[in-house]
Amino acid sequence: MARQGGRATDPRKVSQELFTLTYGALVAQLIKDYEQDDEVNKQLDKIGFLFFACRGYNIGVRLIEDFLARSGIGRCNDFRETADVIAKNGFRMFLGITPQVTNWSAAGDEFSLIMDANPLADFVELPDDHNQLNYSNILCGVIRGALESVQMAVDVRFVQDILKGDNQTEIRVKFIKRLEDALPAGEE
Amino acid sequence: MTNNIISKLEQMGCRVGQSLAERFTRDSPRFGSELDIIKFICKEFWVGTFKKQVDNLRTNHLGVYVILDSRFKLLTHMSAGEQYLESAPKYLAFTCGLVRGALASFGINSVVTAEVSTMPSCKFQISIPKT
Amino acid sequence: MKKSILSMISSGSRSINDPRELYLGLLYPTEDYKVYGYVTNTKVKFVIVVESSNTQLRDSEIRTMFKTLHNAYVSVMCNPFHVPGDNITSRSFEKVVSQMMVQD
Repeated sequence: MARQGGRATDPRKVSQELFTLTYGALVAQLIKDYEQDDEVNKQLDKIGFLFFACRGYNIGVRLIEDFLARSGIGRCNDFRETADVIAKNGFRMFLGITPQVTNWSAAGDEFSLIMDANPLADFVELPDDHNQLNYSNILCGVIRGALESVQMAVDVRFVQDILKGDNQTEIRVKFIKRLEDALPAGEE
Repeated sequence: MTNNIISKLEQMGCRVGQSLAERFTRDSPRFGSELDIIKFICKEFWVGTFKKQVDNLRTNHLGVYVILDSRFKLLTHMSAGEQYLESAPKYLAFTCGLVRGALASFGINSVVTAEVSTMPSCKFQISIPKT
Repeated sequence: MKKSILSMISSGSRSINDPRELYLGLLYPTEDYKVYGYVTNTKVKFVIVVESSNTQLRDSEIRTMFKTLHNAYVSVMCNPFHVPGDNITSRSFEKVVSQMMVQD
């Protein structure tokens, strides 16, 4: 069986193939249930976000612990450091790849994550009648959820997507505001 | 947890199982018998999907096979308790679908069920009706 | 011709002796064409039809073509938007096939 390049110690319990294909089946099922692309995009974002809201999920809890451990004082005060942790720890744990952190705004409150390859989208070809679908939108929800659990509200969106014919996949993350400590993540 | 969700998860698993079977047999030689196919499920398919082989296979040689995975990866993060009652059926249904889908891609119709006795040990029963 | 090819495959007609091979070899030569077969474990049948006048194409090249087609088919199956059993509409797959058919 072929080994994926650059992933000598894959921390995940199931294979890349199962992960990628299961995500594909999830997207296909959501399309059956919701039909409209923008509705499906919303659902994917919500599922990604809930990944952190539900305490039962192993990976979500581990990621938060990673954030806290890394910044030392228990909070990611610096947005640049946060971006780094998302790219290097978060993406590597979730997807097995490390995107580039780049295109910082002058104010330092906005950056891009750029991926040459997106494991979620292996073998995927978007049909013509689904050209508004952000296939990997779960990533936006995951990033938003992860940052909310360290008290940051952010806006996350896809700006480029290899599946739509662009050269690379680019996600833009913008800092909105710091959240009050009032409510723990997941409790409304 | 409604039956509808369980059924959808099983269907999703079935589609994924077909793709996994295609991928993992791409370089295999031609299978000679039904038992060859079941052994493929227990070894290459299980390894390719869950990064381990199954721990035991039993059969009555009349189309019923029981696969034992004593440390089933989709259940190892759960303790026997509340979470088990809610979540385990989801993972089991999906996995039964995986196996059914894989077998279907070889032209085998089957019924696949799962049973947990002690977490995280899990048995999958494959029934292949004889025509 | 399609019916006779399928019946050739089911009756086990092949020029390759090893039953564990997916490649079936030359199914039968006709006056104008040579027909080669390949069947996967998942019952997917590939057929390559070559003009009899083409004596350049070697057996090893035909085998490689079938392997390439098989790999491309597996990728199609792994596309969640592909419904198994439907006609293949994948652009990548078409590209693989048309690249094979380009003549020198």
